[in-house]
Amino acid sequence: MVRASREASLSQLRRGVLEFCVLALLEGEERYGFELVRTLSEAEGMVTTEGTLYPLLGRLRREGVVETTWRESPAGPPRRYYRLTPQGRSVLAAFTGDWTRFRDAVDAVLGTTGVRS
Amino acid sequence: MRTATIHPLVADYRHRLRRAARALPRARRTELVAEIEAHLEEALPPDPTEIEVRNMLERLGEPEEIVAAEDPDIAPAAARARAGSLEWFAIVLLLVGGLVVPVLGWGVGVVLLWSSRVWTRREKLIGTFVPPGGLSLVVLALVLGVGVSSETCSGGGGSGGQTTEQCTGGMSTPLQVVFVVLLVAGLVLPFVTATYLGRRAQRAR
Repeated sequence: MVRASREASLSQLRRGVLEFCVLALLEGEERYGFELVRTLSEAEGMVTTEGTLYPLLGRLRREGVVETTWRESPAGPPRRYYRLTPQGRSVLAAFTGDWTRFRDAVDAVLGTTGVRS
Repeated sequence: MRTATIHPLVADYRHRLRRAARALPRARRTELVAEIEAHLEEALPPDPTEIEVRNMLERLGEPEEIVAAEDPDIAPAAARARAGSLEWFAIVLLLVGGLVVPVLGWGVGVVLLWSSRVWTRREKLIGTFVPPGGLSLVVLALVLGVGVSSETCSGGGGSGGQTTEQCTGGMSTPLQVVFVVLLVAGLVLPFVTATYLGRRAQRAR
């Protein structure tokens, strides 16, 4: 029971941070959909099914935090490249601050109660 | 291009994806299908083995799951069907409710229309006012119109014993045209609006 709820919490946590990880991957360079999806799914435990990332990319675009351009690919069909918008950049910066505080707080609590014993 | 030799499993996957994506609004459907198609192209080596295809598809996830991630409202198909009966009832009442029970029948339709979460505010406004009363408006107009024209006619006949030809010609050739146009609009518009609401209710929110 506890284990099941722990897994559910973890998956919620993952889902909550996923979009910021997408933004972080786009910081400094643009990437095409498949590249983004593969990079994320290779990060341990980030993504269970790659396909569900595409709806997320679409939502980020509609929200205006990323924008897209089609470019020719060296081989095969054209690729849709994603890059951060100025708005996306500020969302990412804000989240990075929040996340650092959150992580430190969780670490502090875990460090003083659970892990030592 | 590799598209010449599509693996049967990939072909089947694409078929399922297109079917599942039908629930999405057109723009999002096109975008999602294009992305997944590109993924299928990129993720497979030329002439993939069956194992490679199966592994790739498993990583990608079920088409239904992907579409559900696009719009959480689409996943519970049963819930959507249940919500549907209220919407259909609203559409029918807006159309003919006023004919069965004048004013009240249509009014209940309006209440149902506005209590539904399927339609946007704009769609609800159209449903309410184009035209108000639904088909009952045209019936009302017919009754009033006949009343007005007969009244004018009898007045014309009484004043100078003129023929009915003069009477109708004098009062209404332009008016009749307007009347007929309004009549046709009053007959057609309720159906147009009902169809519009029906389509909008079926599309995914």
